[in-house]
Amino acid sequence: MRVTSERYAIGLARAFGGAIIFGIPLLMTMEMWSLGFSMGRGRLLFLMIFTLAVLVGLSYFSGFEKTFSLKEDAMDAFAALGVGVITSAVLLVVLAVITFDMSWGDTVGRVALQSVPASIGAMLGRKQLGDEQDMDAEEERKREAGYGGELFLMLAGALFLAFNMAPTEEMILIAFQMTPWHALALGVLSILLLHVFVYSIGFSGQEGRPEGGSFLSTFLHFTLTGYGVALLVSLYVLWSFGRTDGVSVAETANMLVVLGFPASLGAATARLVV
Amino acid sequence: MNREHKAGEIQTAKAEQQVPWLEWAASGIGLFLVLGIFGVIGWQVFNGATTPPEIIVEVDTVAPVEGGYRVLFLARNTAGEAAAQVEIEGTVSKAGADTETSRVVLDYIPGHSERQGGLFFTYEPRSGSLAVRATGFTTP
Repeated sequence: MRVTSERYAIGLARAFGGAIIFGIPLLMTMEMWSLGFSMGRGRLLFLMIFTLAVLVGLSYFSGFEKTFSLKEDAMDAFAALGVGVITSAVLLVVLAVITFDMSWGDTVGRVALQSVPASIGAMLGRKQLGDEQDMDAEEERKREAGYGGELFLMLAGALFLAFNMAPTEEMILIAFQMTPWHALALGVLSILLLHVFVYSIGFSGQEGRPEGGSFLSTFLHFTLTGYGVALLVSLYVLWSFGRTDGVSVAETANMLVVLGFPASLGAATARLVV
Repeated sequence: MNREHKAGEIQTAKAEQQVPWLEWAASGIGLFLVLGIFGVIGWQVFNGATTPPEIIVEVDTVAPVEGGYRVLFLARNTAGEAAAQVEIEGTVSKAGADTETSRVVLDYIPGHSERQGGLFFTYEPRSGSLAVRATGFTTP
């Protein structure tokens, strides 16, 4: 497959498509606008760096073009973030969320935060909107990457879905109105669905049970680890948005279980999307 | 099939050396935007992004409207941190009468930013002393 500028332009167009489609739910979420200027600047900066690292990883597994080296993965990550930033900026201006009398810090904060989901969308755009030319190479990479790669894909999936829910007030409200029994039930349900989604029902691109692995070893190695990844990602996203500041450990645990539900579904279905 | 595969490999090797110009451009623009955003956010980190809100209210225009008067004001947050639920209170005092008070709550005022709002009074604001100030806020 010769990589020409024309081919790359098609990939870039798909990236814009992905950025719009995956970014639109959060572009139209009110809390995202206020978090853009109110969340801690250090946390926002760290979130952008974290996103860039995830983008490099995603580029390796499924970028908008086939990559050959870390340099190219990094270039793709920058391009995806650029696409995310441009898409977010244009749409936020059109939606009148950003106006020209706003301060620089305000404007940049809003665009930066929105560019996180948009740039992940840009990276996934090729896979979702494009043809399936490199499927073999992609599957090979996923096989080669082994356990670490598996965990990374779970992390990326969990991050994407958790990020779509975490900004809303509902996450806190749900955590407040749940009793400990509700939280336990939701946690068990998350683990069950994670296991069933990944290893039992026939989604395309799903993982076969590792060879020679018993139910128990699969459960311990992948399902519980996956749920752990989902909880850690939830904690990170909630902390980024300042949702855990000054909140008791018990209430934070409730919030983690609530956000862990979409996060574990994201981890389970990462292979379908990535 | 086999030959095609080999040809593909040769072209792949070639593509490794020849990155298309558009890819350079897209990555370059991306890098530029990333550095710009990191720069602005990073600058804020070290330039008072964490000073608590300080809100100054200025009266913009006063105009007669049906049933009274409308006072437009600008609330400016001169500190780095954003303020939420900012309550703005305006009073008009008239000789020989009670003071008239009107209130409004602004959802957010980001750091180093301003928001516009309005208050309604039945007394003529220009004849008495009009005072508008922020009475409180919460952190977002």
